[in-house]
Amino acid sequence: MSPTPEQPHPVTVEERLFSLVLALIATQIGLTKTDILSTVQGYRQRFRVGADNASLERQFERDKDDIRELGIPLETIESPDDPGSNHHLRYRIPKGLYDLPADIAFSPDEIMLLKLAAAVWREGSLSAESRRALTKLNSLGIDSSDPVIGYAPSLRAREPSFEPLGKAMDRGQVVAFLYLKPGESAPRRRVVAPLAVVLHEGRWHLYGADQDAGATRTFLLSRIVGPVVTVPGVLIQRADDGQGDRALAELDALWRAQVALITVEPGSDAAVRLSKRGEPGGAAESVELHYTDVNILADELAGYGPEVYVLSPATLIDAVLDRLRRVRDSHQPLTNPDEEAAR
Amino acid sequence: MTAKPAALGASDKLTFLLSLVPFLMDHDRVSVTAVADHFGVSPERVRDAVNLIAMSGVPGETRQYLHGDLFDIQWDEFEANDNIVLTHLVAIDDSPRFSAREAAALIAGLQYLSALPENGDRDAIATLMAKLTRSSTGAPSQLAVSRTDADVTISVIQAAVRAGTQVEFDYLNSRGTAEHRCVDPLRIESVDNAWYLRGWCHLREAMRTFRLDRMSDLRSTDVPADSHDDGAPLPDTLFEGSADDLTVTIELPEAALGLLADYGPVPVAPGAAGQHSRAQLRVSHFHGLKRLVAGLAGVVTVVDPGPARQTVADWAAAGAARYDNDPAGGARIDDDRADGTSA
Repeated sequence: MSPTPEQPHPVTVEERLFSLVLALIATQIGLTKTDILSTVQGYRQRFRVGADNASLERQFERDKDDIRELGIPLETIESPDDPGSNHHLRYRIPKGLYDLPADIAFSPDEIMLLKLAAAVWREGSLSAESRRALTKLNSLGIDSSDPVIGYAPSLRAREPSFEPLGKAMDRGQVVAFLYLKPGESAPRRRVVAPLAVVLHEGRWHLYGADQDAGATRTFLLSRIVGPVVTVPGVLIQRADDGQGDRALAELDALWRAQVALITVEPGSDAAVRLSKRGEPGGAAESVELHYTDVNILADELAGYGPEVYVLSPATLIDAVLDRLRRVRDSHQPLTNPDEEAAR
Repeated sequence: MTAKPAALGASDKLTFLLSLVPFLMDHDRVSVTAVADHFGVSPERVRDAVNLIAMSGVPGETRQYLHGDLFDIQWDEFEANDNIVLTHLVAIDDSPRFSAREAAALIAGLQYLSALPENGDRDAIATLMAKLTRSSTGAPSQLAVSRTDADVTISVIQAAVRAGTQVEFDYLNSRGTAEHRCVDPLRIESVDNAWYLRGWCHLREAMRTFRLDRMSDLRSTDVPADSHDDGAPLPDTLFEGSADDLTVTIELPEAALGLLADYGPVPVAPGAAGQHSRAQLRVSHFHGLKRLVAGLAGVVTVVDPGPARQTVADWAAAGAARYDNDPAGGARIDDDRADGTSA
């Protein structure tokens, strides 16, 4: 015999959420908020008839959000007799939209590939999303084929702006943040409707509609300083599916259009690594490198010190030289003249 | 900004409950350990979930959670033999859909994997992405990852991992020394767009991590690789410190610590708001440090020891000196148009 739920026991969060999902799937016509609070496991124990249930109502609002975040289609139906009234709203989860479509099936090879894809996210919010996706996938009971041995590919999104931007994008919110553009002394506030977040050449970019410029712009996540805040009251239509591809296509076009010519010291680290990435230039030891952002390339090339000599463009020469001089000048001996003498 | 750990835990648990029900429905009688293996969770977690499911249900017509409104299992079978037999179902009988974000995480992971030679079948990947899109509640968020060009070295190493043979290559370390290495390859790892081989180095007689882009003349051999499967898993961190590492103190803005996460900086003196803070790094020699610091111009400064400062200063000075007689060297940075990716 199962223990009856009438006996008092503390109801855990997952039990309350699970009971709410079951109740809302089981109902055809939907349940009102009062129905839910007074009858569903986890709420009913705290419901007081004819009294103020404000904190329980707030709990329900949060639970609703949490459930929707998991991809469960929790619907709100207005009463035909009383449209616009919050009091007679009904809630339900249509089973047809909850269930995985019946014609969807995954092969053992596909399961294996999806497991590898999920494992790519080792940290951050996407790792939690992937983990839950795998749990749902496992419910299908398909065994994975043998994994490809010897691979552990991983992606990171360490920028703190990554998560709030993703959330805002899903909710169709406009965001504001401070953006520090290289060459400018102070960050400037940008107001952007996010359309896609893309990884290009190992760096995360935000593609969005700049509300002040009235046009799409691409931002590097690493240059967003300070928090990403949502702009209250402004909602946009969720972007259509092609935005990510569009953003990547624009970055690719930019990458192809911009080319730097450098020479590398034979046998050096720069020669081994940069020659692999670029194409041979006209002269010996010269390499042509495509790039999307002159400052990021300058950071990288400055790291090679004397192993790299930039021939063009002039902006890149300036940027690399400026970096090298700054590093040289900021690392002069501190106070002890003996160290200078010891050179 | 970051998700509350408690809420995340409840979301994971709810997802597990909703996924476990359809799985149990498809299996007339299944052991707790088999379920734990399939879902990759502990047997305790499975037992807890089964206990909760068996006590859960819908309020029902009486709104009293009567016996027929609840799930049920064969309790004897569960308690005596650790087997699960679901005997009564309520409300749900199918796997839940993915959330837009879950589908997006898997799709972006797949895009990243499509760079690997084994996953070169782009039609198969495209089919899988379409399935994920159809299996999610909302349109997957626009998260995209550009294809990186698969290096042939990946295929060569991968084949050697499978065949259990050694590979050999010339390797230039960050000191600038080139050595011929014979390695038992164990695993290819990547972090964003940097690829690494981890394996047993016969020259050093130790586990080592090699950057693929620092290898030259990679060849697979017929020499069988030694077995290193002694049960000890490879550590998660790519680089391990050694007893003779040198400690270096650096100064940097608090916000920039993330840039050095791979080097495990230990903060020693947090700066006041807006001030620079100090941290310590452990490095095997100063030659890697000089490349790192020169690539982070204006962000990181080495404070001590003096010889480390000197090594960095000399490196940057030698780089800057190459432009000394170059008339372009004095130009100002003012060409905004070349700064491609920023808006």
